[in-house]
Amino acid sequence: MKATCLTMLLLLATAAQAGPAEQIAGYRSAAQAADPSFKDFSAERGRELYYRKVMKNGKMVSCASCHSQDPRQPGQTPAFRPIGPMATAVNPKRFTDPQKTEKWFRRNCDDVLSRQCTPQEKGDYLTFLSSIR
Amino acid sequence: MKRATVFVGMMLVSSILYAEEGEGLRVPMPAKISKAWKSECGSCHMAYPPGLLPGRSWQAIMNGLSNHFGNNASLDKVTEAEIRQFLVYNSADHDVRPLPATAKPTPTPRITETAWFRRAHSEVPSSVFRRQGVGSAANCMACHHAADKGVFAEEDVSIPR
Repeated sequence: MKATCLTMLLLLATAAQAGPAEQIAGYRSAAQAADPSFKDFSAERGRELYYRKVMKNGKMVSCASCHSQDPRQPGQTPAFRPIGPMATAVNPKRFTDPQKTEKWFRRNCDDVLSRQCTPQEKGDYLTFLSSIR
Repeated sequence: MKRATVFVGMMLVSSILYAEEGEGLRVPMPAKISKAWKSECGSCHMAYPPGLLPGRSWQAIMNGLSNHFGNNASLDKVTEAEIRQFLVYNSADHDVRPLPATAKPTPTPRITETAWFRRAHSEVPSSVFRRQGVGSAANCMACHHAADKGVFAEEDVSIPR
């Protein structure tokens, strides 16, 4: 019994370590290192980033183009694959693997903004998507 | 070398004949499937069976992942190497040689531009590919419902209206 409790606690701790809050904490350290005047992340700035439209190959694109206008809904890739909802409230698996999060920021910031996102933008984005109820 | 060329030529001819017969068309799927191939390639589009392209085309595709048909599909080195190996070893011609450093950069090879693809779909007007239920010719599974398992037989085709 004791062992089971301990295992469960350990499992919870490991799961929590990789969750959105921990990833936001990681981006906070990076944002502070990049800019000493950095205060805190903002869900509003994250929201602006999610819906920001950019001209790409003659088309207006945004995160929302593939990830759906409502982050609580599933999205679809341009090549017809479903994408799980972005809002952590409806998709508990979202932002639980830091490597996966970083992989998609690397690709998708390049695709939409034609550059890499800053730690502040990443933190804002996760803050926005984990604030949706 | 010459023998290899003849062999590759025969393979290409036989796959073309296979496609022309129209029935029983099957792209053999390797017994051992790479998990990385399935999950990485399959997160944006159907994980296209390696037998759909020759080895050199897969090499060119894997060399250009940072601009993959206009998208950044870059991978970490370990995953990239695993997927590259799976694709070339199981490619249409099993050609595993890397592209020579002197090879000129060409547009990324497309399955839909291979001779066999065009021949197999010669009766399908382009308007069908643009239908809402299809989207584009890249969406194999819209009509070939078991395409991800390498099954392209004509009796398994149903085209969305």
